[in-house]
Amino acid sequence: MTVVAAMLLDAYRELNSKKLFWITLVLSGMVVIGYGSIGFDEDGMSILYGLKHVDSEFIKQGSPWARAMYMGIFSDFVVTIWLSWIAIILALISTTTIFPDFVASGTIDLVLAKPITRIKLFVIKYLTSLLFVVLQVGLFCVGVFACVGLRLGEWNWMIFAAVPIVTVFYSYLYSANVLTGILTRSAITALLLTMLFWCGLWSIQSSEVILNQFRLMSQVQAERAQEIVDRVEASLTTADDAENGGGKLQRLRWERELEGAQEDHEQAQELEQTLATWHRRVRVVIIVLPKTQQTVGLLSRWLKDPHGFSIMAMMRGDMTGVMPGSHANRATDVDAETSRRMEAYYDDPSPWFIITTSLGFELLVLGVACWMFVRRDY
Amino acid sequence: MATTNGEYVIDLHHVEKIYRGKVHALRGVEMQVHRGEIFGLLGPNGAGKSTLVKIMMTVVRPTHIGGTLLGRPIGHKPTLRRVGYLPEDHRFPRYLTGRQALEFYAALAKVDRRTRKRRAAELLTTVGMSDWADKKVSTYSKGMMQRVGLAQALVNDPQLVLLDEPTDGVDPVGRREIRDILVELRRRGTTIFLNSHLLSELEMVCDRVAILVQGKVVMQGTIDDLTAQSRRYEITIQGAAPDWAQGDPSIRVEVLSDGQSKLIIQGSEPGPMQPILDRLRRESRIICAMEPVRETLEDLFMRAVTDPATGQILAPGALPPVGRSGKGGRR
Repeated sequence: MTVVAAMLLDAYRELNSKKLFWITLVLSGMVVIGYGSIGFDEDGMSILYGLKHVDSEFIKQGSPWARAMYMGIFSDFVVTIWLSWIAIILALISTTTIFPDFVASGTIDLVLAKPITRIKLFVIKYLTSLLFVVLQVGLFCVGVFACVGLRLGEWNWMIFAAVPIVTVFYSYLYSANVLTGILTRSAITALLLTMLFWCGLWSIQSSEVILNQFRLMSQVQAERAQEIVDRVEASLTTADDAENGGGKLQRLRWERELEGAQEDHEQAQELEQTLATWHRRVRVVIIVLPKTQQTVGLLSRWLKDPHGFSIMAMMRGDMTGVMPGSHANRATDVDAETSRRMEAYYDDPSPWFIITTSLGFELLVLGVACWMFVRRDY
Repeated sequence: MATTNGEYVIDLHHVEKIYRGKVHALRGVEMQVHRGEIFGLLGPNGAGKSTLVKIMMTVVRPTHIGGTLLGRPIGHKPTLRRVGYLPEDHRFPRYLTGRQALEFYAALAKVDRRTRKRRAAELLTTVGMSDWADKKVSTYSKGMMQRVGLAQALVNDPQLVLLDEPTDGVDPVGRREIRDILVELRRRGTTIFLNSHLLSELEMVCDRVAILVQGKVVMQGTIDDLTAQSRRYEITIQGAAPDWAQGDPSIRVEVLSDGQSKLIIQGSEPGPMQPILDRLRRESRIICAMEPVRETLEDLFMRAVTDPATGQILAPGALPPVGRSGKGGRR
């Protein structure tokens, strides 16, 4: 316990000495101030602490729209853009020196000569290195918690779920940083390789999303084409039964429509099958890799509006959550249906699956790093 | 496996280290350090001194090792709680103050909070750094770093202290202070293992020394024992040496440049000298000087690093292994 406490205190002192830690904290504070500047009253919403007012019938004090919008800004924008990208990049820059400095000649000798096993030393050092993100996100969440409480009157403790989620997300990347840091003993190389690893993850995950989107779109298109085929075939049957003889032109039109719909159906089905094959392959790769986007996405899931309203859905014009009447119009909208299926698809895997498979990869990377740390002569 | 002998604080047998680049750094080192003594390890650059110390401190993994440290097998981590270590060119985290650094390393050595605070304050005073205790180590000079480094090695109140070049970069006053600290530690029963190039300093404080050359211990013992063979009397006389002296196998004659001659008689006893002096007196020879002479540690060191066959100084550094010596153990 003495050792853990000492290394935790040391990690804090190290962070405290880094200017970037304080710069990130100030920037986080500014984001919270910006977030808190959005308010609601009986006539609508205000921005920049009342400098600008937007009248709205729906987004106003006490409405579910306002609640969903405010929480959505946090989970879909603030967490996704600020905490998952910008703050993480700043955190990586700040912490990339920790392990290369730790294993530097002259420093490591002092530590290894103490009565602590190398494995224990490695694990404690790794865990205490995550302090940067824990502190940053923790303080950030306190600010957001206060904003939500004051603006919506809702003291939502789930906001603090961002702390473990962003920390776990960061740890996926940091494990790669530790491995490369121990391997190369160079902070700058470790940082570049980690960024490369992150880009790789992002590319693979984005490819999977794009492939899946087109696959689902083809699926919807095939279904829509099948609906047309069914409808036209029904019409033709009805016409045959009627045998009125006066609808030859109409029949010809139906036959052409049927032919076109069948062709569309075949093409969409064929495309869906091809995309499904590729999607399956990419998905196999993704299963073993850290799922950064899905991990961060968990927060949106957990903070989802109880009425089904989502800011992302609103942005794409899907109002089903709060305007059930709009369903009929949207049902024919392939894009909206595809988006809905996408959302359902990515809401399907359990948080347990997402976190454990990702941590499995992280453990593997850390295992290699630890093995190298333990075996090396300094 | 070596025997565990309570008399020895360090008892090393067959220590081998072959680095990945196939550099044979240590080739069967045998070494014993007694309780409560100051032991000096000497050797030219690359002889393997630091590697040996690092092996004892578990910083480097040996290829093969037998023996004990404080009665426990080398590599036994809990034993290191009773050992202090100052590595060569050590670096403290730059964001810590001297006091914080001491307390941090004491905590890693599992010293309780109250004790480490008290020890840190005491030791900073002992090494003359109390005025700088709360300044960042990034502002320290090399000598100051060494002083705090020494304090760090003592912060867990160790029974054994291994110091690798402790006076490196320290001014003469500081060196003397460090020597005094070491002598005081010995007085209190602490065993000190010193690794240094500064032979004159080692000579002043060490009870026993070992000389490591090309990964092997070539000499080991007290300075008196090691220099016993070299003890002699030297008589300087005016003019050429007498014929009888040149014909006597127990007397070595050297002709000096200023017309003087030197008669060298091996041995530490003054008895055999007397007839020679009497005879020189009888012959009315002018005796300019007579003195008992002993090898210095530097002479001893030079003898150790000189190839007896060729008279050449052995090349610095470790020997590459002959062929691919896969000698069993860990890599």
